[in-house]
Amino acid sequence: MKTEISFILNGSEVKVSVDGHLRLIDVLRNRMSLTGTKEGCGKGECGACTVIVDGRAVNSCLYLAHEIEGKSVTTIEGLQMPGHKLSMIQQAFVDNGAIQCGFCTPGMIMSAKALLDSNPNPSDEEIRDALQGNLCRCTGYVQIVEAVKRVAEQLKSKQ
Amino acid sequence: MKNFHYIGKETPRPDAPDKAAGKALYIHDLQRPGMLHGKIKFSNHPHARIKHIDTSKAERLSGVSAVLTADNSPEVRLGFLRDNFALKKDKVRQYRDEIAAVAAIDPDIAEEAVELIKVEYEPLPGLFSTREAMKKGSPLIHETDGQGRPRTDNLVPLRYHHESGDLDAGKRAAKYIAQGEFSTPRVQQCCMGTAGCIAEFDMNGNLTIWAKTQIPFLAQRDFNRALSDIGLHDKNTRVIVPALGGGFGTGLDTHAYEYIAILLAFKTGQPVKIVYEREEEFAYLSPRQSSTTKITQGCDQTGKLTFREVEVLQDNGAYTSWGATYPSVMMMPATSLYRVSNVYFNAQLVYTNNTYCQAMRGYGNPEHTWALESNLDELAGEAGIDPYEFRIINCNRPDETTPMGLKVSTCGLKECLEAVAKKLDWKKKSKKGKCRGKGMASLVHVGGGARIYRSDASGLILKLDDFGNVNAYHGGVEMGQGLHSVLTLGIAEALGVRPEKVFINPLDTSTCPWDVGTHASRGAFMACNAAILAANKLRNKIFELAEELFPQEAEKNLDKFKKKNPGYKPPAFDFVKAAKRERFDLKDGSIFIKGAPREPWLSLDLGRLLRAIHFRTQGQMLTTEVFYDPPNELPDFAKGFGNISATYAYGTQGAEVEVDTETGEVKILRMVAAHDVGKILNPPALKGQIYGALAQGIGYALYEELQSEKGKILNPNFRDYKIPTAQEMNFPVDLEFIETNDSFGPFGAKGVAEPGLVPTAPAISNAIYDAVGIRIRDLPITPEKILSALKKPKASKG
Amino acid sequence: MRRFDYLRPKSLKEALQLKKNIAGAKYISGGTDLIIQIKNRELQPPALISLRSIPELATIEINGGARIGALATISDIIQHRELGHNYPVLIEAAKRLGSVQIRNVATVGGNLCNCSPSADMALPLLVLEAKVRLQAAKTSREIPLSEFFKGPGESCLSSDEILTDILLDPPRQNAKATFLKKGRVKMDLALASLALLLEIEGGRCRKARIAAGSVAPIPLRLSKVETLLEGGAISKDLISKAQQLATKIVSPITDVRATEKYRRQIIGVYMKRGLEKVLG
Repeated sequence: MKTEISFILNGSEVKVSVDGHLRLIDVLRNRMSLTGTKEGCGKGECGACTVIVDGRAVNSCLYLAHEIEGKSVTTIEGLQMPGHKLSMIQQAFVDNGAIQCGFCTPGMIMSAKALLDSNPNPSDEEIRDALQGNLCRCTGYVQIVEAVKRVAEQLKSKQ
Repeated sequence: MKNFHYIGKETPRPDAPDKAAGKALYIHDLQRPGMLHGKIKFSNHPHARIKHIDTSKAERLSGVSAVLTADNSPEVRLGFLRDNFALKKDKVRQYRDEIAAVAAIDPDIAEEAVELIKVEYEPLPGLFSTREAMKKGSPLIHETDGQGRPRTDNLVPLRYHHESGDLDAGKRAAKYIAQGEFSTPRVQQCCMGTAGCIAEFDMNGNLTIWAKTQIPFLAQRDFNRALSDIGLHDKNTRVIVPALGGGFGTGLDTHAYEYIAILLAFKTGQPVKIVYEREEEFAYLSPRQSSTTKITQGCDQTGKLTFREVEVLQDNGAYTSWGATYPSVMMMPATSLYRVSNVYFNAQLVYTNNTYCQAMRGYGNPEHTWALESNLDELAGEAGIDPYEFRIINCNRPDETTPMGLKVSTCGLKECLEAVAKKLDWKKKSKKGKCRGKGMASLVHVGGGARIYRSDASGLILKLDDFGNVNAYHGGVEMGQGLHSVLTLGIAEALGVRPEKVFINPLDTSTCPWDVGTHASRGAFMACNAAILAANKLRNKIFELAEELFPQEAEKNLDKFKKKNPGYKPPAFDFVKAAKRERFDLKDGSIFIKGAPREPWLSLDLGRLLRAIHFRTQGQMLTTEVFYDPPNELPDFAKGFGNISATYAYGTQGAEVEVDTETGEVKILRMVAAHDVGKILNPPALKGQIYGALAQGIGYALYEELQSEKGKILNPNFRDYKIPTAQEMNFPVDLEFIETNDSFGPFGAKGVAEPGLVPTAPAISNAIYDAVGIRIRDLPITPEKILSALKKPKASKG
Repeated sequence: MRRFDYLRPKSLKEALQLKKNIAGAKYISGGTDLIIQIKNRELQPPALISLRSIPELATIEINGGARIGALATISDIIQHRELGHNYPVLIEAAKRLGSVQIRNVATVGGNLCNCSPSADMALPLLVLEAKVRLQAAKTSREIPLSEFFKGPGESCLSSDEILTDILLDPPRQNAKATFLKKGRVKMDLALASLALLLEIEGGRCRKARIAAGSVAPIPLRLSKVETLLEGGAISKDLISKAQQLATKIVSPITDVRATEKYRRQIIGVYMKRGLEKVLG
């Protein structure tokens, strides 16, 4: 049973016709060809599929596509700045050695972004809590947490 | 010590921005026109005869292009003992045996078709432990070997043995002896990007396969053999390696699913993609091999080791892959961690109906060091010597050859031990009444390649273009460890160009030179040594040609400069005469004459010179090729002797823990990791390697375990197979890098991809012993095991 | 994943009607448990009826006590200031449920209706003596949460009812509560968990409410321990007795996550530590 859903994707309005059993991750990766969002487990356990819906980080592998109607979705592709520039968080990950194989990176960055958008001055505990649903096998998380702290400092100094 | 331009400086990885933007393409993201999706039907019996496979319903399902079983497809064997098959015929030997496969227009239909395949089994008694499988009269898991010869038992025909010195004399000379039996479980590599490939034939019968592999060239060899098995003789495989999503050893062998994708692509005439879902990854991909080790060590009155006796028994699972070669690596710490003559080492492997195992980071070293370093603490305890002092007494030294014949050149073990002791405040005992303790453990690992095959070589091609860009073609795999980063820096440093001008091309067996594989921490060592050789060759070529062309270009420059600056008087310097190959230098992409006046017209942009070389009559393009073969040997593992690596990486890790004696929980308060790295090539990349390995070591120590019952994996998901998250890594980690500047290492560097997780578990276990006086011998050290041990009446010593 | 239709009724009435009309259809709220069950082929419903577009189901109201709509997400609960001020133990438990991504989507109603013995939200609600409102097309009833759970995956909801609200009494002035959860790592299903609430007056425990998770077929009120503590003078001895009794009366199982023995041990230890914490 296909239904047309319309939602905001990375700032632009989008209309797609999707079956009821499809998930947001299926629409993003297969229908919209936005392969930045990764499927690592399909069960909401690894966080590689994390996107931001109406300001909140969610696992797109557990989010049924029809529920996105009328909502605003941001994926990793939506973070890129004009002129091929990376956003502050992405750049901090690059500069801080927080990226190795990169598979968890988009999801990790989206979780970090959701955190900093609502809490620009998080404590160490708050950062770890925000990232605990994003598994990484390569980095040991140290440089990832440092990158998030660096961005928080940059945000503070901007004020 | 040399001052490097790029080596050792904080440089972001060249691949990081694309990964941060979500632009890196992994197997999961790739599509090919007309691509079909493959899915595999796995056995749900650990040991059974296949009586009948009914694929009729699956074949009739709309959207299904092909259904394959061993009956309707050519036999394809795999594994270095050739004891495995892509699709199983007659018999299944493990829970995950591949019975059939489907190619369909989308993954959902393929999955549905797999469900429709019905298999009739005649269960056979299963063997799930080495003990059961070794018993006389037990059923044979393999009735014949890879060559079709009949077998008589379940022992794997591989011999790992070492004897040096005089074991009995060593035992007699020992004042103190400690013996222990230790075990490690099967654990999963848990790459965030799961296994997968896309196989596609062209209309000439040649195969292209996009593979999640760490051995593209050995895979090419394996797949070419498979093509032959299929009936495609003299056809070729091209292996292309996209972004991996993690390796950790999963890509060191070729897998049944890859051959199945090839068979499906051959049958359908269309590209076929197979990607494992997470549960399939846990249940149907080969994990780290388990081990049991019986170890006895003795020392004299002064604490000097007098002997070491080791017996290893491994559950090989149903087929043979690299897990079966772990003992070859175990021999290394067994003979060469700390100074000990009089060593005995023997290992046996047994087929069972459990899952077969492959490589995982450390490859036998974490398993053996777990036993060795735990037992060493026990021995130190027997001797009444502080564990740190004990290690210093027996510390390896530079420029020594070990009982296995390992030629240790540089050795920073003493400095590593001292760094850990200092950073952990070793002399200060942990707060009393808080069940806190400190422990340490060391490691030795290959740091200069590892010759486990006829060749340990690595090729590199550098192709210069008209713009001064360096196009590099290398057979090593970037799997997140930072290989592209260090290769870029190595080329930039050795050649004299800026890193932004270096481009590492996609890994493709048709364009890149041969490399045995990215394993054994050899990536950076090989790539950068090859880079230095290639860069020198190129520099020689460039400077030779510059002799003729530099003066004329400099002249042109001077004319232009004079026109722009009338009245300019050039300094008295005969640059024509000075233009000799031995006087040129290339730095940051500019060629100049050493000692010449610093005039802007007297230095040439490399691209400019290259264009001059290119566009003159009888012009040339500059490309160079090297094949770096390190000075190491292929050991005889039956004799346990051979200098397997060009250099060795040592290190020590220490931990301070707090044990909750009511819940059994172990809290890590802090860790120190001191590693002899030779030379730091890229600081953030090196730190990342150690932090990441440390996290894996902690998981190995405290909670990771693939649980299985009668061959079936019980926890094939992240819900019940726990790996550390950002929460668990919430303690301070002190990193200390000892730069021993090894002469065999590129810029002095050693390979350090694996050492970070080798001593972690024993360091933690030794800290637990210091805290609460209990010795756990079986990983993982779960709270349940701690509570159980605490309840036992304390024996006089451990 | 098998195919299913997805329906988004805008009212409770519409939802109830759809369920009646479509055989085998299941309600879905956050979906963080349900979708996994469908993926695992434990459930294969032909249609899912989403409750997420029914606005009144997601609201939280403070009215002396509190009314929490079943569709309130775990994050909604964590971020609700007054709710957190009045019932801090609820927030303590909510913060330990899954990850941020899960909490942003999972609902308190879904957590309860999934009827897992380890349901994180069940424990604090049990000790707060919450009631749940179950609505059918023409009827509505309120029952204590302690009567809601029947067995693993089984509640007393009949097929024509929806759990719409969770109702809390006004918070008691002298009530102190806490929540403890044991996982293999921090983010985990509970291997064993405990919520406890005490009302202390003049050195004596006037009221004790204790609920344990993952140690019985349902989230369990430990009434025997409650009785032991109530009326007694608080002492180290009493705490020790409570610990021993708790360890004895629970009925955990051994599974891939933990042994029965270990779960018992943890419940006892948590009993002790929980009491020590609220007694200060």
